[in-house]
Formats: sequence, structure tokens, C-alpha cells
Amino acid sequence: MSNYADILAELSQATPVFRRYARALGAGVGLVVADGLVHSALQGLGARLRAREVTPNDAEAARIEAYKAITLLAAHKYQAASGPGPRHPPIVHGLAALDFTDRAILLLVSLEGFRYATAADIAGISREAVFMRLQRARAALANWTANSSGVAQVSAIRSTAHLRVVK
Amino acid sequence: MTTPPTGFLDEADLHAFVDGILDPDQRRRVEEHLSQHPEDAALVESWQRQNAAIRAVYEPILREIPAPSLRSAAAQVSASSGAIESGATHWGRPGVLPRVRRREDILAQQRRQAIFASALALLAVAAVAALATFIFAGRSEHRPLAATNSPQGYVARAGLTYATYVSDQHPVEIDASRLEELSSWLKARVGFYKVPDLSQQGMRLIGGRVAPGVAAPAGFLIYERADGGRIGLYFERSVATISQQASKSGSGVTAIEWRTADFAFVLIGPLALDLMQVAAEKAAAQIIGASQP
Repeated sequence: MSNYADILAELSQATPVFRRYARALGAGVGLVVADGLVHSALQGLGARLRAREVTPNDAEAARIEAYKAITLLAAHKYQAASGPGPRHPPIVHGLAALDFTDRAILLLVSLEGFRYATAADIAGISREAVFMRLQRARAALANWTANSSGVAQVSAIRSTAHLRVVK
Repeated sequence: MTTPPTGFLDEADLHAFVDGILDPDQRRRVEEHLSQHPEDAALVESWQRQNAAIRAVYEPILREIPAPSLRSAAAQVSASSGAIESGATHWGRPGVLPRVRRREDILAQQRRQAIFASALALLAVAAVAALATFIFAGRSEHRPLAATNSPQGYVARAGLTYATYVSDQHPVEIDASRLEELSSWLKARVGFYKVPDLSQQGMRLIGGRVAPGVAAPAGFLIYERADGGRIGLYFERSVATISQQASKSGSGVTAIEWRTADFAFVLIGPLALDLMQVAAEKAAAQIIGASQP
């Protein structure tokens, strides 16, 4: 395990990306609530690090533990949060319409840049499930976009409905 | 990712292409396929547009400077065992609304806070007494409450500004009846001019003023409730090096700090934490506007 101080420094340095993820995962949730969630998640992780309930091998592993904590906490605390309002861009409304885990997977991969295996680890699902949820999220998002903006995305929706051999 | 049979591509390859996790050979193969299959190219392009839209909305958050208390959240456990959120004293720590807490969370927190409850109660009583003395006995003969600590943090400076002006009969330089002039003035002096409307939270805008900041002048808006209680919204251009001492300053008021749009904001007033959080959320939402989620 890395030095405890190094891990704390890494978590502190990564706070902006944790805030971004928490805000995106909330899909319209306010920044005070999202920051509060990050605070609670990091505080809880800090306690578990000190109690050696989690022993990350390096700073990157600690960062992944933080993503896990944020995702787990958000699954509960965002249930009562209000959805996006009129001021939010259409993509936020589309994200809000997704299943929570689908949204988490899409954001972990598309926004946070994690590989599928890491996203699976963070969300606590299998790697195969990651692909299925990613596929479902993108299809649902395209569907939402099509419904809100007309027929431009219809062909994309039809294509994403199933796994297929294209060549 | 798993290498597909030679000569075949499935939808997983297209997703992997969009997510940038293919090796160069696989990527070249997908690109060749897309050049020959416009329908799949359009599909890939639609996913790339989704990714770009998501990033466009959320990437600006990375440019915001998080509150010091948030940056040190993991370390705070060792320092204070999470005693920050008790009572009405809430310095520098954006939190979650009580109604969204689960019962077990509350019970766990109560256990953690048991050791600190007495100390916080004493601190709160002392702070309320000091603030009341300041407000009702006149400020000229008393040291401002927040000045007990050097006002190096935003919360400390907000507390000092609050204590300095809030008890005045006319605490603002430009009142709410000249809102347009107030906005222009704040824009010129402070660099930020959005004046949140908190009337739905029962907070009527009295007006605003300029206050001393560190790198530049700060803005200070004052709202008033029907019961006469005054709430201040302090804002100052945020800088990278920030003292963490702000969260240590105690008084009988609640202060909630957040950062956005290159500015630090502190909502401060003698209200309960939940009321202040709702008001802070409303103010933050209006400040962010349509540009960010």
C-alpha cells in the first residue's frame, strides 16, 4: 500500500474530477448537493483507509475506491434529488432519463475515460454487463434525443437495438 | 477488449472504437469498415456526438476551484471525525440535505459526533453571545467576531463582512430598488454581477455593497427575512492558494461556501442549516445559469 499521505494527496488532487463525476451522475442535481455527496464519500473513504478496511496498492487504486464510494452513495442519496430544470441542456435531461447504473457506466467510460474492466469494478458489475449497459445507455440517449428533436437520430436508434455482425 | 474473429466486426468493436480503447490495428480495421458502411459511420458519429455533448456540459467543472474543506475531506476524518455538520454552525462545508439522509447514516453520524457535541455547544453559545453583543451594543467598541481569527479564508472574510455591516440600519451602498445600477457597479468593481433572487426562500434583497477582498474587491449582497433576520451573500474572485482556517472559525451563524465561475461564494446568516442549504442551492443554481449543470 502506498504511503497514507500520498493517497490523501492524490484524493485531494483528484477532487475536481470527483466533483465533475458527482455532478454528472446527479444529472441536474445542484452543486451543493453534489459537493456534499463527494465530501461524504471522501470522508467515509478516509475513515476506511485509516481503519485499513481498504488497502489500495497505489494512488490510482485509491482514486478508483473514491469513484466506488461516490457511485454507491449517489445510488442512495440521489433518489430524492430533483431532476434537471428548464435551464439544463438537453443532454442532461437525457442522462436523467437513464437507469442509474446505465448512466454511471456511460459516464465512467465516456466522461471519466475508464476502460470497461475498471468501470465494471467501480459499478460492481461484470465486464459483460458493462457493455450491455453501455449499449443500452447510448441507445436510450439517442432515443431521448430523437424524441426531443425530431427524426434525425432514428436510424441510429434502430441500429443500436441489438448486437449484430456488420461485416 | 477481446479481439473479434478476423474479418468480422460487431457492435462491441464500434463502441470500443468510440471509447478509444482499440489497439492501432483494430482501430484501422474499424475505420476501414466505417468508410464502406455509412450507416455504421452515422451510428458511431451519433455516439461521438453524445460523448462530446456530455463533456461540453461537465468539463467546465474542472476549472472550478473546490472548497478547501472538500479537498481535505478524506483527511478530515483523522482530524475531526466528521463533526462538522452538527447544530447550526456550519462553516465552509457544503453538505447534503437532512431529508435525503438515511436513518442509519444519521445514527452513525450521531455516534461519531457524541464526543464533540459538548465542545461545539460551548463554542456555539460563546459565539452567539459574542455576536449578540456586537450587534446590539454597537460595533464601534467591539472587535468583529470573525476577526478572532485572521480572515485568510473566504468564510472568515465573509464572517467579518457580515459582522461589520449586517447590524447597520442601512447596510448597503446601493439598494434593491436600483438593481440594474447595483449589477453594473458590482460588475465593474468585483467582476461578478448576477444577483440571485431568494424571495421564494423568504429572503428579500435589501441591496449590495463592495467589501475588502484579498486579490480584488469582494461583493456583499444582503437579504432580509420577514422576522428581521439578515442573510449575506459574499463573493470574491477565487485564487488557487487558500487557507483552510476558514472552517475553524466559529460563531452562531451558518455559513455555506461553494465555488463556481471563478468565484468563491459564502452564504451566511443566522438560520438553521437546512434553510441555508436550500437558499444556497437556489443561489448557486441562479449563478450558474444555463451554462453549467
